[in-house]
Amino acid sequence: MYTNPKPCKHLADYKLRHGLSGYNLLQEQIRTTPSGKSSVKNHQTEIPRCCFCNGYQKRLYLCLICSSISCSSHTLLHSQCENGHDIAVDIERSELYCVLCCDQVYDPDFDKIVMLKHLMDLPRSGNGVDVSAGRRSSKRRRLCSALELDLKKTKQLVSMRDLRAKSCYPLGLRGLNNLGSTCFMNSVLQALLHAPPFRNYFLTGQRNHEVCRKRSSDRLCLLCDIYVFFSAVFSGDRTPYSPAQLLYSWWQHSANLASYEQQDAHEFFISVLDGIHENGVKARNTGECHCVAHRVFSGQLRSDVTCMSCGYTSTTYDPFMDISLNLDTGNCPSTDLANKSLKPSDNTYVSTLLGCLDLFTKPEKLGSDQKFFCENCQERQDSVKQMSIKRLPLVLCLHIKRFEHFPVRRMSRKIDRYMQFPFCLDMNPYLSSSVVRNRFGNRMFAFEGDELDTSTEFEIFAVVTHSGTLDSGHYVTYLHLKDQWYKCDDAWITAVEEEVVRASQCYMLFYAQKMLYYKANEDLVCQPVSPRADPFLPIAGCC
Amino acid sequence: MIESGEKERLKELLRERLIECGWRDEMKSLCRAYTRKKGRNNVTVDDLVHVITPKGRASVPDPVKAELLQRIRSFLASTAT
Repeated sequence: MYTNPKPCKHLADYKLRHGLSGYNLLQEQIRTTPSGKSSVKNHQTEIPRCCFCNGYQKRLYLCLICSSISCSSHTLLHSQCENGHDIAVDIERSELYCVLCCDQVYDPDFDKIVMLKHLMDLPRSGNGVDVSAGRRSSKRRRLCSALELDLKKTKQLVSMRDLRAKSCYPLGLRGLNNLGSTCFMNSVLQALLHAPPFRNYFLTGQRNHEVCRKRSSDRLCLLCDIYVFFSAVFSGDRTPYSPAQLLYSWWQHSANLASYEQQDAHEFFISVLDGIHENGVKARNTGECHCVAHRVFSGQLRSDVTCMSCGYTSTTYDPFMDISLNLDTGNCPSTDLANKSLKPSDNTYVSTLLGCLDLFTKPEKLGSDQKFFCENCQERQDSVKQMSIKRLPLVLCLHIKRFEHFPVRRMSRKIDRYMQFPFCLDMNPYLSSSVVRNRFGNRMFAFEGDELDTSTEFEIFAVVTHSGTLDSGHYVTYLHLKDQWYKCDDAWITAVEEEVVRASQCYMLFYAQKMLYYKANEDLVCQPVSPRADPFLPIAGCC
Repeated sequence: MIESGEKERLKELLRERLIECGWRDEMKSLCRAYTRKKGRNNVTVDDLVHVITPKGRASVPDPVKAELLQRIRSFLASTAT
């Protein structure tokens, strides 16, 4: 989190006495390289040297008061000679240093000045960073939208009692029959059933299927079918349900995927969301779409491409419904270092979700065959691309790319590598505000779009796992409801320990914003076993 | 060599190579481990520099050293008067 550290006594004293004058004088001397590093250079040709030992090879510090330069061994000496000369700047890095604390110190005012100089020096237009005040209105709208999909009305549902309920499992837990290699569909449906705002939308009758125009004219409506599906699963009836109508409805929409062959769960997920989007209320031409699929799952990605010659950055924004991640394998790209690299290509490196997210937001040098046309240089240049998340969705779906396709060799294979994933996820380091901020070193400065009141903390609620090979595999979903994990294997639902989930081979991970997740769980009240129920009646759905 | 700006360019190249091969990440985790052990408020930049420097110097991969040495040599050769 970016809370400003408190200034040390010496920095505070300096500020009181000198204010910003020292910083302002320094500003002129700051130069920034295209890669983003800011240094202090007072004369182009002069080599900075320590005024005590004449050395130039250690870290050099410029005194903010008298501009004398000392190396790391002699900064203290300078401070002893000149009373009050305690604050200096690391010449190479443009970072504040307190001589008496022997430590780096931070001042947002200083960073602001460094940043401003950096930005002024960058080629005009599209420098990738806007130092204006953040835009709040769209953010507020999103929060309201989230609350709208809230749970007030869901409480009414909870009070309804169904005599068929036989266990004290939470509501909405019901097995789904496999209709012929449809585990890909069942697994995703289980996750959708428990995506908090998505679930609430369908359960609170916001989707009024009585007046659905399509249905009244006897046509298929995907949204209505989903509504019916939700009602059935949350009815309290625990016998496994066959989502045939929904399957048929989806086939109509995705004709190319209509078959009894095993499909990819992720493709199904995207296709269903697409179907909901198309079947829903037509969005305005400009602005965000307000269909439930977009309201719940859509976020925005930011892509920055920086010219390596001049530093000009081109920024584009694209919406996303999910993020597909490559597995991080810990191998370094330079294969010539493979033999003598620090990490011998070992099998002991464990892939983690955070590692994959790091990989996703890592600056990537574009190959020489992908030279980017730089507006400023007016020619194709080598460049660096970096992705970050501009806006997080309410529900974040992370897809792990386990299926590799080689169109040239006409071959596909599955990557079975285990990947560790957390149950609580803080997306802050992957936001555009964090990623862009890091480009400029250790700066304490609020950037545009610093979403200070938007939560970046997520809780996991569903994991879709895949086992087996590409052609013959099986999908299973684990749901996290009210502190208990449940395994949903088509028609069979069992409670499991969290270790089982942690050890599973995840394919799609579903995280909900923490607040939404906890609120949603409050409503899933367990219904006690009805005394009149026959305890010996076998329940195929729940074991 | 400093005056011509070559040192700066070589430093940039070195930085790139060290990031690529994971050296920087390794140093980062060493710093984190040290900080965790000492406690966040008991560590200064100077401490870290003193602790990490010997380890860092020792763990620069040979190919990286070789490449940089090669470039320095050729630069000096090209500017020899």
